[in-house]
Amino acid sequence: MRARHFRDSRSRAALGVALAGLSLGCCVESWSAAQNGSGAAPNPPAKVPAGVILVKGAWSSDSDSTTPVPEAGTLTSRDYASPYFHLSYPLAAGWAQKFTGPPPSDRGYYVLAQIQSADAADGRIRGSLLIAAQDMFFTPIAASNALELVSYAGSHLRADYRVERPPAEVSVAGRSFVRLDYVSPVTGLHWAVLATQIRCHTVQFTFTSIDPSVIEHLVAGMGDMTLPIEAGVSSGKGGGEAPLCVKDYASGGNVLNRVDPILTDRRFNSIPVRVVIDTSGKVKNIHFISSFPEQARTIGDALQQWRFKPYMLNGKAVEVETGILFGAPPNRALISGRQEPQLVPARKHDPT
Amino acid sequence: MVRTQHPAAFVVGLLMISAASAQTDPGVRAGAINGQTGATATTPLPLASVTANNPTGSLEFFEDGLTRFQNVEVVSGGDDNGLGPRFNFNQCSGCHSQPTIGGSGPASNPEAAVISAGIVSGSTNSIPSFITANGPTREARFPFFFNSTGTAVNTSAPNGGVEDLYTVSGRADAGSCSLQQPSFATAQSLNDIIFRIPTPLFGAGLVENIDDSTLLKNQVAQGGNGLGISGSFNRNGNDGTIARFGWKAQNKSLDLFSGEAYNVEMGISNETFPQDRPLPGEETQGTGLPANCLNLSHGGYPEDATNFTPTSTSSDPAAVNASIPSDVVAFAMFMKMLAPPVQSTTTPGGATSISHGSAVFNSVGCSVCHTPTLSSTQASNVTPSLGNAAVSAFSDFEIHHMGTGLNDNVSQGNAGGDQFRTAPLWGVGQRIFFLHDGRTSNLLTAIRAHASSGSEASTVVSNFNSLSAASQQDVLNFLRSL
Repeated sequence: MRARHFRDSRSRAALGVALAGLSLGCCVESWSAAQNGSGAAPNPPAKVPAGVILVKGAWSSDSDSTTPVPEAGTLTSRDYASPYFHLSYPLAAGWAQKFTGPPPSDRGYYVLAQIQSADAADGRIRGSLLIAAQDMFFTPIAASNALELVSYAGSHLRADYRVERPPAEVSVAGRSFVRLDYVSPVTGLHWAVLATQIRCHTVQFTFTSIDPSVIEHLVAGMGDMTLPIEAGVSSGKGGGEAPLCVKDYASGGNVLNRVDPILTDRRFNSIPVRVVIDTSGKVKNIHFISSFPEQARTIGDALQQWRFKPYMLNGKAVEVETGILFGAPPNRALISGRQEPQLVPARKHDPT
Repeated sequence: MVRTQHPAAFVVGLLMISAASAQTDPGVRAGAINGQTGATATTPLPLASVTANNPTGSLEFFEDGLTRFQNVEVVSGGDDNGLGPRFNFNQCSGCHSQPTIGGSGPASNPEAAVISAGIVSGSTNSIPSFITANGPTREARFPFFFNSTGTAVNTSAPNGGVEDLYTVSGRADAGSCSLQQPSFATAQSLNDIIFRIPTPLFGAGLVENIDDSTLLKNQVAQGGNGLGISGSFNRNGNDGTIARFGWKAQNKSLDLFSGEAYNVEMGISNETFPQDRPLPGEETQGTGLPANCLNLSHGGYPEDATNFTPTSTSSDPAAVNASIPSDVVAFAMFMKMLAPPVQSTTTPGGATSISHGSAVFNSVGCSVCHTPTLSSTQASNVTPSLGNAAVSAFSDFEIHHMGTGLNDNVSQGNAGGDQFRTAPLWGVGQRIFFLHDGRTSNLLTAIRAHASSGSEASTVVSNFNSLSAASQQDVLNFLRSL
């Protein structure tokens, strides 16, 4: 079987700049070559680079370098743009990202961008914006779309907060969003959450500020966003330029050939994976939302052998994407009251 | 009439306003140690049921563990043998002593005084530059191995193990054992060194006795937080249950924690870690420790073992019983029975400030990870106070990505280089050094260090930074009340 190399999705976004000029695989290999006397090579990494996470835990990766993934948006001084979600959000003047977010979680949660106002002279900031996404195939919350997810959040706010505006549909840039506002009476901090669904992800814009007018100004600026046609509080299931997203498609008679990965590690982590299936039923792209490298290799090798029944829409085969959960089952406590994500139990060695 | 204002006076005025309103860490809280009446710098309090000697004999075990925790270990020829051949210090309580025995590192660093105290030979050891008289007590780790010539790091070869600070070489009780200290200066020049400080142990028995389901339910409750936070648990590789001790939650139990520390920090082999430990490089290269540095106690391995013949000759059967277990069991028992710190309701800043600070702490999102109270523990077969009890540790015991700013490039279990266990905050009011490496003694600095690229806490820190100085001060006062 040919070797497959899964790229680290974060390396091209968050860490791309930091790692520029330090292509690790390149340098280590070259250094070994130099040691072996096989020719001239660049200098080895004399020092551990500062501010770079070289030793990673579970992280995101994917099987090719061309298919967009949620965490690989771009942020400029003008806007945040996501090729995966086909959206762009224009930044307000003076607002910028200071720190990139963490890698996607094993529950399919993404921090896409963290934007805040410039620091004032006293170090205080006027507000912040968190752009996040929850993969609805793996959400731990009893919700099946953006409307339900935000409604759940509104009804489960902690006692520290008071709802100012209960979840309700609003129109933003011609698409339906759900909006929830709440406040912390103790601090005077206000939050406004605006969410819509795209490609079976709830994409959330969470604005925070002491000053409600700052939030309203930013919400008004959302009118200049570009969004895909599919975006909506309960629509947002792909199509158009994106594959259709179909929950649990990798199950039952849809799977014509299935090779279960045999994970030999004992990490007990959940490994959420999104796959894109082409019109012939082959796996076109594998996105490991959170996995260790060896897990990605094993699962990727197995998934490439899966064959699916092509998904038919109006008599025509179309690309679909779906979610598959490998590894350990999700936190049981998380899924009470909802249908479990499709689980592919990984075979493991005897624990003793 | 047009008034002119002297520029210098204007600047001074601004500075005064700034100084008057600036939030500051109140510093180590004065007053009762751990907030407990009766605790002293050398006598931490046990859990209430242990104080009541319930079950009978438990108090003796606690006191015996406290005594052993303070024993000064030697290489050979004494009552407590087995030190080394490599070690960080010769006494548990040397590094776990702030504000009382069982705590974190003290203001005066004993690791910096090992030569003057005669613990190590100055002719064979030197004090590393990162160990200072008033700095944090530390262990050192090299995230990566060096290349074969020791002139560069090999980032494809992760290390991460503890590089003990000192050797027994040159001590009168160490025979001919001759070892060199690790290449700390080289590691520093290659930026290939990180540090860890001692974790405080108060209330550890309660933490150990939290059922996994309680932690998992708390994870549910904190889900959908809207703050960019989504942690996970570090799990024991053998049985898959949640590990919870150590900076990366890498250790499952206090017995394991105790055995590893005795072996790694003091070089004493024991029933959990039965061999003397070479440095990571010596281990992986198969060289191990030289023969003349093995079995230095002349008593065989493990150097710490169960005392089949009780060491106590007391007429009190409880004292005799307590003398039977090995040191690592006694240490673990001591840690299990240590009472958690008690929060002050008035100091510093007054009750109103502390109460408000607590509410602000929750509101900005700190409490999503620093869960104030987990309720409750399993029934306990050790002592009643450990059972069915609320645990106000201010931690979810999950591991979270803390970003490039705190990343140490050391993986332990499922935790990657930038993932750390949410540090419990109980007792933080009387701690001196903060964060995993003790880089700061300033709580405000520690809070802000939670934000960096890749950190789950950046949005919460943004929320904190948007608060007024008064509210930030209340949070600091609240934290110092813990």
